[in-house]
Amino acid sequence: MESTARHEEIHRALEHAAHFLPAQGPIDVFIHHNTLHAFEAEAFEDAVVRAARLLGTEPFLTESRYRAELAAGRIQEADIDAVLAADSSCPADAVVAGGLVRLRDLYRALLLHPVREESDASVRWTLTESDVVEILRPDLPADARRRLLAAAADDERRAASDLWHACVEAVATIPSVVVRVGTPVRHRDLILAVDPTLDTDALVHPLLIRFCAAFLDQGVASWAMPGRDRGLWAAFAELYAGRLGPLQAWCERLPQALREASGMAADECVVRELDQLGIPDEHREAFITQSLLALRGWAGMIRQFEERPDRTPVAAVPARLVDFLAVRLVCDRIATEWAARRLGVRVGAPAEATLAGLWWELRDRYPSRCGPGSVCRALRLDQVAQLVGLSGGEIRSLDENELLRFEHAIAAFDGTVRRRLFHLAYERRHRIDVLDALCAHASVARPLAEAPDGVQWLFCIDERCESFRRHLEELGPGHETFGTAGFFAVPMYYRGLDDWHATPLCPIAIRPGHTVVELPSAEAVTRHERRRSLRRRYGQLAGSLSNGSRTLVRGGLFTPVIGALAAIPLVARVAFPRIAARIGSTAAGIAGRRIPTRLDLERSDAEPLVAGTQAGFAIHEMAAIVRRVLEDIGLTARFAPVVAVVGHGSTSLNNPHESAYDCGACGGGRGGPNARAFATMANDPRVRERLAAEGLVIPATTRFVGGMLDTCATTLAWYDVDTVPASHRDRVAALVAAGEQVAAADAHERCRRFETARLDLTPAAARAHVEARSVDLAQVRPELGHATNAVCIIGRRWRTRGLFLDRRAFLVSYDPATDADGSILARTLAAVGPVGAGINLEYYFSTVDRLGYGSGTKLPHNITGLVGVMDGHASDLRTGLPWQMVEIHEPVRLLVVVDAPADRVRAAVAQVPAVERLAVNRWIQLVAWDPNGGGLEVFADGGFQVYEGERRVLPTVERSSDWYRGHREHLPPACVQAALGRAEGGGGA
Amino acid sequence: MTSHDTVSALVVVQLAAPAATLAAIGLPALLGRPLTERATTRIVGGGFAVAFAAAVSVLGLLGARGFAPVIVHTGTWFAVGHHEATVNLVADALSMPYVCFSTGLCWLVNSFAGKYLHREPGFTRFFILLALFGTGMNLMVLADSIDVLFAGWEFVGISSALLIGFFFERRNAIDAALRAYTTYRICDVGLLVAAVVIHRAVGSGDFGRLFGADWPAATCLVSPGTATVVSLLLVFAALGKTAQVPFSNWLPRAMEGPTPSSAIFYGALSIHAGAYVLLRCEALLDAAPVARAALVVIGLGSALHASLVGRVQTDLKSMLAYASMAQASLILVEIGLGWRVIPLVHVVGHAVLRSLQILRSPSALHDRHELEAAIGGHPDLGSWSPLSWLPARAQAAIYRIALERGFEEPAVMGVVGPIVRLLERLATAERAWVAWLGEKRPRHDERRA
Repeated sequence: MESTARHEEIHRALEHAAHFLPAQGPIDVFIHHNTLHAFEAEAFEDAVVRAARLLGTEPFLTESRYRAELAAGRIQEADIDAVLAADSSCPADAVVAGGLVRLRDLYRALLLHPVREESDASVRWTLTESDVVEILRPDLPADARRRLLAAAADDERRAASDLWHACVEAVATIPSVVVRVGTPVRHRDLILAVDPTLDTDALVHPLLIRFCAAFLDQGVASWAMPGRDRGLWAAFAELYAGRLGPLQAWCERLPQALREASGMAADECVVRELDQLGIPDEHREAFITQSLLALRGWAGMIRQFEERPDRTPVAAVPARLVDFLAVRLVCDRIATEWAARRLGVRVGAPAEATLAGLWWELRDRYPSRCGPGSVCRALRLDQVAQLVGLSGGEIRSLDENELLRFEHAIAAFDGTVRRRLFHLAYERRHRIDVLDALCAHASVARPLAEAPDGVQWLFCIDERCESFRRHLEELGPGHETFGTAGFFAVPMYYRGLDDWHATPLCPIAIRPGHTVVELPSAEAVTRHERRRSLRRRYGQLAGSLSNGSRTLVRGGLFTPVIGALAAIPLVARVAFPRIAARIGSTAAGIAGRRIPTRLDLERSDAEPLVAGTQAGFAIHEMAAIVRRVLEDIGLTARFAPVVAVVGHGSTSLNNPHESAYDCGACGGGRGGPNARAFATMANDPRVRERLAAEGLVIPATTRFVGGMLDTCATTLAWYDVDTVPASHRDRVAALVAAGEQVAAADAHERCRRFETARLDLTPAAARAHVEARSVDLAQVRPELGHATNAVCIIGRRWRTRGLFLDRRAFLVSYDPATDADGSILARTLAAVGPVGAGINLEYYFSTVDRLGYGSGTKLPHNITGLVGVMDGHASDLRTGLPWQMVEIHEPVRLLVVVDAPADRVRAAVAQVPAVERLAVNRWIQLVAWDPNGGGLEVFADGGFQVYEGERRVLPTVERSSDWYRGHREHLPPACVQAALGRAEGGGGA
Repeated sequence: MTSHDTVSALVVVQLAAPAATLAAIGLPALLGRPLTERATTRIVGGGFAVAFAAAVSVLGLLGARGFAPVIVHTGTWFAVGHHEATVNLVADALSMPYVCFSTGLCWLVNSFAGKYLHREPGFTRFFILLALFGTGMNLMVLADSIDVLFAGWEFVGISSALLIGFFFERRNAIDAALRAYTTYRICDVGLLVAAVVIHRAVGSGDFGRLFGADWPAATCLVSPGTATVVSLLLVFAALGKTAQVPFSNWLPRAMEGPTPSSAIFYGALSIHAGAYVLLRCEALLDAAPVARAALVVIGLGSALHASLVGRVQTDLKSMLAYASMAQASLILVEIGLGWRVIPLVHVVGHAVLRSLQILRSPSALHDRHELEAAIGGHPDLGSWSPLSWLPARAQAAIYRIALERGFEEPAVMGVVGPIVRLLERLATAERAWVAWLGEKRPRHDERRA
């Protein structure tokens, strides 16, 4: 009876701990998500600090980085004042030091002026080698300096030395602060504190990594682990129970332990090992959490395999977290016993008693961290007293209690608190830049009076499309753009002509109910078959060559013979990447001329490719999809003759994180097929008929065209252009031409961010540059992905048209006029809120802690098991984004501006729990933008507050390039005249 | 003879060009003003390009004369009586193709790394080490005496170890670098002792006194006894860099550095350094059947080991490391069998192919998807193994052995461990001894007090 209760307890603890593990699945489908999703129920500022403590990570950027931003003017004093005024830790009337100093002034001084953090070891050097206590600080505020000098008859040295002596005396009268740090629960950490050379994790982890990688392997090894279908624990217990050769000293007793545990279930074994390790019941949950977090990447991947077997790339293996824990604890116990022997503790037969004794003893011996010594404290007090203008006499006038409170106030305002406030100030400045620009732009933004005579473009909301849309709009009022989630409301499993299986193309939260297949056109079937068999043979040859080159016999036979031929691709790929890629694609083109295809979109009775789905869409489903998107973006009347629907994806080489650059709304896939499907649906006369019956009339003169934008090479591909009726041929040709022109302009704007691209490139050269990046084996920054994303604007495009947003804003089209009840807003928020916040927060965390939350530099990354990357040959799986992706990112929480009345926004948010949680707990910044007046209201403390801003003037330029040319850094918004859509504003389409 | 002078000058250029780039980027970095990335890659690339062009020209000139070797005497280090240590370089049918291919690869990797390491904090350091490696490699290849060869060999070793530890903030990288370096040093003893033996035997380190006629038809000029001793020592020296059992477990760990350095060192050049030395001294091996037999046995054993262990590796770089090890072992077997041109061709083919594979390794997912699309399914790698006819228990046992990398590490530690413990005990004794000595006299601060 009791044992079942203990098992349940273990499972509960395991479930709890599992939340803290990285939730990144196998890397071939990379889905951005909030790294701290498990903490979303808490307020952001508290959650990041708590998570940092639990995970050993950083909650914010470093203080020196914020100070650099302060010096550069990115953070201003006004921001610091505003942040302090709003912070509950320093009410306006709080005073310290016997009423001589306002608490808020103290904090302000500590934020604006760095105070030396000295250690006991370094402080003596500082005192003897620098004149820090002999003269006053050079950066003192004027009035503080005046007060200090006034107290010492204008003698600076006297003032300084008097204050220093007063501080030394003061510190002597008050007791030192002892900081209690949490005592670790794992033996490993306790032992490490006693003997830094005894790291049991360094012994256990190589074994665990090797084993887990082999267990989860998706086809790198040519020999799969025998018996892995019986689960991780059983496979381990069986494989390692024998001794087949010499063992490392620490695991001499592992086979014996495994034989003793043979036949035990994993949870039984966990209970047994916890007993043997001697962990008291009240510490077990923390112990399990810490044990899993010690190798969190692998533990998290095992959890992903357990929870989402449908997402395993090749073979679902029966991975369970409890199995992993059992293996881990057995190894930990064996290693701990070994370490105990090394420490001179004799481990007898009931290891239980010994290890428990060891645990308690080491806990007692664990050093509590002492506060700084008295000289350090005196120096700190001296520095702070100068900053707030307290003279030596005033310090002496304080009694013990006052001094104690003063010192506590200084100590409590530690690095974490300062960084939190700095961060708020950092975000405030960005918010003001954006919101002021929105206010100022309102005076010039006007809706287009009538339907454009050119093209209406429908893009993904992705912030990388912002520049593309702006450059299109710069062509003149003939172009109007919209944004919606890039799967275009077509959730489907899709198999392209050259794909071998169907992949889901829709947000990760949706499980598609339909399967769509791309088929060769009727006249090209035989050509396609021929090409396919050619391709298969080529693939088999290439596969067996590359596989064979790694084996002994085949490799030995053919490396001497044909190995040198590899020099051709080696030289071509490394020295001439773009030419090599061109030759490759030309050769592929000759081998089989482009096969014309069509989508098998319509519902049929054929057996669907993916079980549990239907083949294709019925007409009424298509009509619902088209209707939904057109309603979402507010395009229900005034159609242009051509509507271009453009999905996006990204192609790059040598990039394990390639999928992270693809469309988030397509679940890390490429959105082209969705755009094509949507256009096909919207062109279908039966769909239009049905829509017309429902009151949504698409004129017969309007044609939809699907396309795909490769955000890395900036190339546009169009679908089904050959089926365009004669009436629209010229218009579609003009559309393609406009696309090419804008692609060059867009590439030009992107290139300003690449240090290796010169700032004076022409648009054509810029296009060649980005194209080369996408095919270059050596390029670790093929594109910059979502880096710099910071804003999400949900509203009518004309309100932001002509505003330079520097590729930093998700732009979602939404028309408040057609959505009186807020239902469209609610579903829009549900679709884009979590996706946008997930991207933004993943970038946030990977930026503030590149090693703890991000995956460090890409250079030593090593793909393992096709599920993830390690650093070098055996490390924990590295989750999060690599440094090269986040390098230029500014970590600010997503600023979501909604073009709707505040009460409607509040009501809509309340309907979507996921978004409400993000907004209420401040993981996003929510702003309502009055659709009529233009006033802004910021969501805070459960309600909206009117935004005042600084009412700055918006700079105005003729074209985007006038604003960004010659700059590499982030640029504030500006008004781009040419894009405003006035008849006289641009060159026309 | 002008042609001879031209060749001599060009041979010196092959060495001087990478050495000059080393100075050109190293000195400013030493003075705290490293050059820009662009300048760094251009200078290093330029050095390799010049060396490559010089090597190709010499190859052409030599070819025109039927590959008669040209010895370049650049100086004498010291001479005592009959004893002399000369600094001689040689251009012949072995060294010139080898320099062409090694500088060519260095040049390519230089242009790859220029983009790959963009904005990396250790950018300059990487290129300094690459230039050092290139210089060392060329010195080793061009060497016409055991002394010069040893110098080049050491440059290759130290630059390799430092690049493994490139990310020195990571513990794993430092451990791996140290392990590689330790292995190298142990095996270097073989080369060093070989040098001493050669000097004692013929009074000079010159290869000209060891073997006559031209490569690949060189003949041995020393007694079979000396030849056997020297050959065995050279074989021992080669085991470390070629990662042969029991010195192999540093190789998979060496994949801690940036990808391009892994490619050029452990896919291409460093791993074949041992093979080159043995090829150079093949005339000695011819006269030493014992050494050749040892080479064949060790090579075959290592090849089987690498092949078995490689089959269960689940990360790209370890898998490629074992694939490299297998081929490098085969090359040693070929040398042991007395072949000359085949191993040279094998080295070049293998180096080129493997460095391409390592450079491409981060594209594994991309390549895999393309392959799957082409053949319409998962490539069927896991279903068959040559051991599938064995009973399940035996299969599991062999799998375990492979996963544990043949228990090589604990076996080696079984030998090394006692030595380390002995040294630790000696160190403790020394501390106690020093402390005891210290007590005899008043300590400095006590006196002051």
